[in-house]
Amino acid sequence: MQKSVLVIGGGVAGIQASLDLANRGFRVHLVEKNPSIGGRMAQLDKTFPTMDCSMCILAPKMIECSHHPNVQLLSYSEIREVNGSAGNFKVKVLKKPRYVDEKKCTGCGICSENCPTEAPNEFDENIGARKAIYMPFPQAVPRVAVIDKESCVECGLCEKICPAGAVNREQQPEEVKLDVGAIVVATGFDMFDPSAIPQYGYGRFKNVISAMELERLLCASGPTGGHLIRPSEGKKPRHIAFIQCVGSRDRREWIGHPYCSSICCKYAVKDAVLIKEHEPNSHVTIFYIDMRAFGRGFQEFVNRAKSEFGIEFIRSNPGEISEDSKTNDLLIPFEDPVTRTVQSIHFDLVVLCPALVPSKGMPELAKTLGIELDNYGFVRLEDSVRRPLDTTVHGIFCCGYCVGPKTGDIPDSITQGSATAALVAEVLASKEAQ
Amino acid sequence: MHEVANTPRGRGVLACIQCGRCTSSCPVARVTEEHNPRKLMEMIILGLRSDVLSERLPWYCLSCFTCLDRCPQGGDVGEVMFAIRNLTVREGKIPEGVLIQAKSLFENGRVVTASRMALIQREKYGLNEEPSVDVEAVRQILKKTRFDKLISKGK
Amino acid sequence: MKYAFFAGCLIPAREPQYENSVQKIAPKLGIELVAMKGVNCCAPFSIQSLDHTSWLALAARNLCLAEEMRLNIVTLCNDCYESLLMANTILKENKETRDEVNNILVDVDLEFKGKIDVKIFSDVLYEDVGLEKVKNAIKRPFNGLRVAVQPGCHLSKPKRLHFGQRMGVLALDELVEATGATSIPYERKEACCGGPLRGINDEVALRVAKQKLDSMKAAGADSIVTVCPFCYLELDMGQIEIKRHVKEEYDLPVLSFAELLRIAMGMNLEDWEIKTHRIPITKILNIVEAK
Repeated sequence: MQKSVLVIGGGVAGIQASLDLANRGFRVHLVEKNPSIGGRMAQLDKTFPTMDCSMCILAPKMIECSHHPNVQLLSYSEIREVNGSAGNFKVKVLKKPRYVDEKKCTGCGICSENCPTEAPNEFDENIGARKAIYMPFPQAVPRVAVIDKESCVECGLCEKICPAGAVNREQQPEEVKLDVGAIVVATGFDMFDPSAIPQYGYGRFKNVISAMELERLLCASGPTGGHLIRPSEGKKPRHIAFIQCVGSRDRREWIGHPYCSSICCKYAVKDAVLIKEHEPNSHVTIFYIDMRAFGRGFQEFVNRAKSEFGIEFIRSNPGEISEDSKTNDLLIPFEDPVTRTVQSIHFDLVVLCPALVPSKGMPELAKTLGIELDNYGFVRLEDSVRRPLDTTVHGIFCCGYCVGPKTGDIPDSITQGSATAALVAEVLASKEAQ
Repeated sequence: MHEVANTPRGRGVLACIQCGRCTSSCPVARVTEEHNPRKLMEMIILGLRSDVLSERLPWYCLSCFTCLDRCPQGGDVGEVMFAIRNLTVREGKIPEGVLIQAKSLFENGRVVTASRMALIQREKYGLNEEPSVDVEAVRQILKKTRFDKLISKGK
Repeated sequence: MKYAFFAGCLIPAREPQYENSVQKIAPKLGIELVAMKGVNCCAPFSIQSLDHTSWLALAARNLCLAEEMRLNIVTLCNDCYESLLMANTILKENKETRDEVNNILVDVDLEFKGKIDVKIFSDVLYEDVGLEKVKNAIKRPFNGLRVAVQPGCHLSKPKRLHFGQRMGVLALDELVEATGATSIPYERKEACCGGPLRGINDEVALRVAKQKLDSMKAAGADSIVTVCPFCYLELDMGQIEIKRHVKEEYDLPVLSFAELLRIAMGMNLEDWEIKTHRIPITKILNIVEAK
């Protein structure tokens, strides 16, 4: 019986589960596929409804994870093989090569400053660029550079100038074997690609963006330093529209997301308020079907958005967007709920709020773990009422958005993280008693 | 609403959540205020029978199915239009242009017959005669479905 | 490849030049179009609006005649395609409805068995003949022609009826481009032309057509290629009517895609056929004569 636990996914849910378990004396192996932990919360500027700075809340937890004596952080790693059962899982983890020695790198950043090659910045949702050798973001944990070999031109400059001699361009992938008593899946979500709905012009019209891209534009650590600009020519947008339910609540077979993603109404209002705070002279319109602001503080937040910030809420879902190719301005036709006729309004920037979908790679991970997924690709729960954090394999639990859209906000993810920690402790205690 | 839902092609009205995507997509709603698919669905749901089953209202639809392809809930607006028109016709309200086609169908087995020009062209330029129609068979079918009675109600 | 040829009502009656072009290009591409005897109207949307069962029975009769010929049906007109395809699908999938319709068909000695499929001519060219063979048949390419392709609503909508078929609009674009012309992207490509309202509400029909033409012109088209005869009428004749009412001109000659192929394959249109086009097609013809 092992007193170790494997946590898959270093977002806020996985981090919380890891800390709770570590504080209880369990040894935690936190595996994260990206070069840094932090997940989606690290990409946000502010959180709803309190408008707290997201990174300010998350960073201390991230640092605690990296320093905690009971937590082994395996970043830039993936699960390769899992065998065994509750109390005794045998796991093989593949550490992908960073081509930088984690033990030597001080995170000074001189390598990226001097790197001659650029590539799209994934953390910034491919707005703006990063270097081929890069730090994922300023508050990255671990604070270690990584080389993207596909973009790298092998000039060798980073190796030469690194003051710590940490660059190792011959680094090999490493297999790490783990023996753990329980596993927690906390793989979070991706956003549905709105180009599957061609009528909205995402991917064709420069100034139609998705909500996560907006988050990065609004974030002070983002590609524009927090200045909201139009992707087409960099000017400030004056008239901004949000369109809700892009892919969510959609029963069409070829879209496949009939559920409500549960957080988009909330974050759209939050982003609208953020925009008005950045640019008080801008005009923000939210096109919605229903305004789902459940829970404490959310309806109040929506009310404030209307009365204090003057955000316009229009209960009408537009079917298409068209573009003026000369100005890259957008025209949205919609049925005006007041006059009951079709009106069209010009916008400088349109933000689509897409459905939230399971993280890419879930089907393979599920197969490796032997757990089942539901028909949407989220983790299938053993009993969604009585045991809502158990996967279909005893000893493997799940928390956060990978469980599905019943997770309403960040506190929910944190709560679920803590809950799985308790469930893990229970399983391990009972195995020990056996 | 249930009357429409139980008419062939009318089932979709039960799924409508009144989001308005159909009207925003409709090419006719774009050019005239008289036509508003979402509003028509609303009227059905509210039971405004005599307003819905009018001679004018359901006949703006082009049956282009743009609404149907975009509706997120399977409201099938474009199909519901057919159901409403079927019901309207049963009450004798048929637009002139449609009645002409219907009568031609019953008389000639086709909704439109060759113009004089077309007949001349076909003969002169070597096209075979217009494909033959078995008008008797058509009439038999239409009598059995009481189509003839239906269109005789129209003015 | 043999097909039961369903020409519909409108083309033989009002656009015989379309049919003529199809009859000329089919044999060169290896398609045999077998005439169907005694078919009736497919029952387009106007008739479907009157009575549901009448539509199904009329459409089914045509399907039965093709079943007797043991051939799949090929249509030229989008509306015929929609009507027959939808009826075929409903009757194949729904036993109760099938029984009800067969109960009517028994009076005319027919029974729907669901043994054949319904196709449209452009898809047949793309899928059965294949792009390679079409390209090889092109003798006079239309290089430089900027075509606004009008696929028509019923070529690919409702999507769930045509689901899984990767043909439709894509096939049409590639067929047009096989002739050397360019199929230009334009805003309202998949929007309706307004044709179905001709004769019922001409005013609204023209307004819808105008939206279409405005979009084509704005994208820099110099010509239009249609599949559906209603689209053809609405966009060709419609330009004359729009000019009369609001004095706006587009000068966008309209060809059916069969005519486009016929010319590109080296055959000339007859004088009477050229005259049927209300907007003169001289500039299209000049492109190939220039070769």
